[in-house]
Amino acid sequence: MNPLSADKPIIPAVSLSNLKKTYQKTEALKGINLEIAEGEFFALLGANGAGKTTTIGILTGLVNKTSGEATLFGKDVDKDYLLARSFIGLVPQEFNFDIFETVYNILYFNAGYFAIPKKERDGKIRKILQDLHLWERKDSPALQLSGGMKRKLMIARALVHEPKILILDEPTAGVDVETRQQIWKYMKQLNEQGTTILLTTHYIEEAEQLCKRIAIIHEGKIIKIDTTKKLLEGEHKKLEDVFIHLTKSYEE
Amino acid sequence: MKNRWTGNWISLQALAEREIKRVFRVWTQTIIPPIITAVLFILIFGYSLGSRITEVQGVSYLEFIIPGLLMMGVIMSAYANTSFSLFIARFHNMHQEWLSAPITYWEIIIALTIGGLVRGFVVGILILGVSLIATTITIHSIATLLFFIIMASLFFSFAGILTALWATNFDKLNVFTTFLITPLTYLGGVFYSTTMLPPFWATVAKFNPILYIIDGFRFSFIGLTDVPLWTSITILTALTLISFAACVHLFKRGYHLKS
Repeated sequence: MNPLSADKPIIPAVSLSNLKKTYQKTEALKGINLEIAEGEFFALLGANGAGKTTTIGILTGLVNKTSGEATLFGKDVDKDYLLARSFIGLVPQEFNFDIFETVYNILYFNAGYFAIPKKERDGKIRKILQDLHLWERKDSPALQLSGGMKRKLMIARALVHEPKILILDEPTAGVDVETRQQIWKYMKQLNEQGTTILLTTHYIEEAEQLCKRIAIIHEGKIIKIDTTKKLLEGEHKKLEDVFIHLTKSYEE
Repeated sequence: MKNRWTGNWISLQALAEREIKRVFRVWTQTIIPPIITAVLFILIFGYSLGSRITEVQGVSYLEFIIPGLLMMGVIMSAYANTSFSLFIARFHNMHQEWLSAPITYWEIIIALTIGGLVRGFVVGILILGVSLIATTITIHSIATLLFFIIMASLFFSFAGILTALWATNFDKLNVFTTFLITPLTYLGGVFYSTTMLPPFWATVAKFNPILYIIDGFRFSFIGLTDVPLWTSITILTALTLISFAACVHLFKRGYHLKS
């Protein structure tokens, strides 16, 4: 067989297989199975405490899994952790930058952690800060930014090394409507340019507006995965109603 | 797609650069205080009270205490740097940025340690400069001097990392400084020779690891020791290696870093 003509197996951007996590006596994840294709805009939708942040934590090296497998672009997040993490841009729920450092330096050091050579960093930082309307504040300490600007700074930091997958944990929590719209528009553009996006949110409107496919996670289990379109084709025409119906049915 | 990550020298350099920059960004808190403390000790114990003490180990009391004061500044600076830097990173979840990046655990430890090493070294050199200008002290062995400054900075940087991992609040962070590092440093022969102690206390003092560090370091200036130099070198090297191994082990486990 000519290897050049052979069909290459499609490697999913994210693959979770029977993923479990137990915190002392609490089962946070009860066997998650999930595949996200490269280039998808995917939402993990669930209430607070459903297991969204734990799932993301395992993918990004912040949480030790109890059992199961997790891979990013075919690379095991534990065994091949360096390569797996090189693909990720992470926007965590809480602000976690050095508040006394300038906007520019926060991005400069983060680009370094992802092995972007010094001479290439300035161009990348300038572009991402201009795209997110933060260039004028590049010399300000992060402490002096407004809440919306801090949120955009988190996104800029996650994107400065041009990741293959952007993982956003509640990215618009606590931001005003205008900033939320700006962030959504930018996310859509990024996805159109080929970046895979995994979004966790409890804002149902956010998942409905942005994502082509949605998984509903409830009490550590995925209770439904489908395209946004199909989820809205049934008797419930609003995603909020679909979500309430599914979670109630699961509990019953 | 790449099958092997090859960018770690740049990652390590970036993290180390951040640590060094932090030391100099807050230089009034990191560099100046230990120098002022050392100068005050030189003035009080060296020129004032010290003039009433004739000689210790064949040198003036001022010449005797300067190596200890210098090493005390190095130890405190290296320890404070890594313990505070990592604890604050944990407190604000900034460590998540390092853990989710393609950096190995030991590279994070090395980068934090470089910050402690630089701070300890700069403080040491500045106190040395002040001492050379203000007193008649001379250097007997540059190699021994550099060895003890570098190794003590490394050991106490690792100790600072271990404390920062263990501490779950600011009170716990200060427990080691208040109840262990400070008393052991003051009782580690900065101001006296163990030959001046009664036999029982001289034996007790031998269980204090800082005694070996200060005694070995004093050799760099006066060429004399209370305990054999190689004993001090061996003990300091062993402590440094053990504390590094403990740091790597805890980082690998994600102790107080991951959930």
